Amino acid sequence: MPLSLVYYAKEFLRGEWARKFLAAKTAPLEIPPYFRNYPELTGKTCTHHLFCMMACPAPGAIDVISTPEGWKPRIHIGHCIRCGLCVEACPNGVLSSGRILESMFYDNTRLSFSFRIDVDQTKCMGCGNCAVACPVNKLIDAQMSHGGRASTDDLLLKVSEGKCKVLHVEKCTGCKTCEHHCPNEAIRVARLLEAVHAPEEDI
Amino acid sequence: MKIEDVVCPFCGCLCDDLVVEVEGTKVVNVENGCTLANEKFMGDHRLNAPIRRAGEGWEEVSYNEAIEETAAILLDADRPLLYGWSGTFGEAQSVGVHLAELLGAVIDNTSTVCHGPSIMAIQEVGHPGCTLGQVKNRADVVVYWAANPIEAHPRHMSRYTTFCDGFFVKSAFRERKVIVVDVRETDSSQVADEFVKVNPGGDYAVLSALRAIVRGKRDLIPLSVEGVSREQLFRVADLCMSAKFGAIFFGVGLTMAQGKYKNIRNAIELTEELNRHTKFTISPMRGHWNVYGSNEVFTWITGYPYAVDFARGIAFYNPGETTSVDVLRRGECDACLVVASDPGAHFPRACAEHLAHIPTVQIDPHVNATTHLSRIQIPVAVTGIDAEGTAYRMDGVPIRTRRLFFGNYPDDLEVLEKIYRIVREARG
Repeated sequence: MPLSLVYYAKEFLRGEWARKFLAAKTAPLEIPPYFRNYPELTGKTCTHHLFCMMACPAPGAIDVISTPEGWKPRIHIGHCIRCGLCVEACPNGVLSSGRILESMFYDNTRLSFSFRIDVDQTKCMGCGNCAVACPVNKLIDAQMSHGGRASTDDLLLKVSEGKCKVLHVEKCTGCKTCEHHCPNEAIRVARLLEAVHAPEEDI
Repeated sequence: MKIEDVVCPFCGCLCDDLVVEVEGTKVVNVENGCTLANEKFMGDHRLNAPIRRAGEGWEEVSYNEAIEETAAILLDADRPLLYGWSGTFGEAQSVGVHLAELLGAVIDNTSTVCHGPSIMAIQEVGHPGCTLGQVKNRADVVVYWAANPIEAHPRHMSRYTTFCDGFFVKSAFRERKVIVVDVRETDSSQVADEFVKVNPGGDYAVLSALRAIVRGKRDLIPLSVEGVSREQLFRVADLCMSAKFGAIFFGVGLTMAQGKYKNIRNAIELTEELNRHTKFTISPMRGHWNVYGSNEVFTWITGYPYAVDFARGIAFYNPGETTSVDVLRRGECDACLVVASDPGAHFPRACAEHLAHIPTVQIDPHVNATTHLSRIQIPVAVTGIDAEGTAYRMDGVPIRTRRLFFGNYPDDLEVLEKIYRIVREARG
């Protein structure tokens, strides 16, 4: 035991070591511009397209909430994996994180979204909650949102032959309102996300 | 041929915005209707001609023969029962009441086994109700108590309440709160903001607790009332009291649970208490598409909504005595005419057994459980498809159903009028 104490004292009480320890020069604690951190708000206006939520692969990492100043994405730090997909996905540049947007510009890449709506015809009761609540339908046909009467076939969803039918899946924005409000758990919305190398004029 | 604004003759919602495509005497497509509507219009299981029991089997007979035999059965009976009426239109119901008066019969409709207790409660304390249009345009809190609209009235939520944008509720499901109270989780509870799970038979106590909270007596509430925590009761009461306009819809789960009409009375009185704080209404979720109509027609002719006994020569009403289940269980009635309903599927076993013992005649388009208890069945046109007539929606709004095509069947009115004429001639 006393030997060990002597050994430690010899090791740590060296003048050179103590000088280095106390006067070490380290790099400044600044995040370099190429470092991809948690997404931050840029202050640009969010238009509630919800592409960030749809692109996010980490459950519960991002949501878009209504504030007195309008819609705003909210990042949940403990869930976010800093992949930056939300920054890439946002059509309005509401989020930023490192040089993602610049590298998208230089590399000529973008994210392409499409959605797929599956209706389980055996579970569907044809209640029309999905078609009436759907915000896309609401813009196309006011009669639909005021009671479920479809006056056009341009709708995204409508009830036909007693079941929910998907008419124009290409109009889906992936908000999942239909899925959340289906009492029979008959609707599932799937996101198909592709990173594409686009021609220059598309960007 | 596409026909617009077709009225669906299935449930009490009486949706009048269907688009139906017809080819000849067949419906080939239904738009905007729920699964139940689709089956009603597209279903193809009608009886072809009147049938009469012959030994172990059945034989087809002509309409005149079936009608004459039905009239003879009714004339021969000492205490006939005329039951059903909720699946036919008002004009036919009216002939039914006059026929009952002529025969000195008991006439009863399907409310007797569904919302009869609601009517008894309304007779005691009134009905603070409104039309569904008011709910659609104003309600920001909707309560479904012991009702499962998604299965029984599928379009109720999307057409009149939760999901439907209204004049003062622009962004429907974001602005409206839905409270579902039931003894078990249901499809409707899936879309509820607050699901209150009550012990079976505990509705009365929960309603009383809510009344006490609304009256400001929070200190009196125990930690749990029939399986519902005090905190949840406070939350529900606060939600209701802070509403701009609230609507309670209650189903058969409340009328036919322990406490029966007292439950409804309590619910109506809760509505009354809530009206001290805000605007609140209460309405029953009526099942058959025209059960409200049968109550209306019975009431305007006899003064009573169901279970009317003409044995004394005047209309007499005493639920528990003149209701069809009691008349059958006591074995009193000696002939029964069933119109547009299915007591064989819904009545207690003892009543169904008695129906099988006495001469029972059914007037209905389809083969159902009552067919197996009947002596004669007369198929008729389906109102809303190949017959037209007036029906009452669950909120008391009369809507005329439409005839989509002319079929080969007589309607309820024609058959009943023929029976009535024969009975009137015989009775002088």
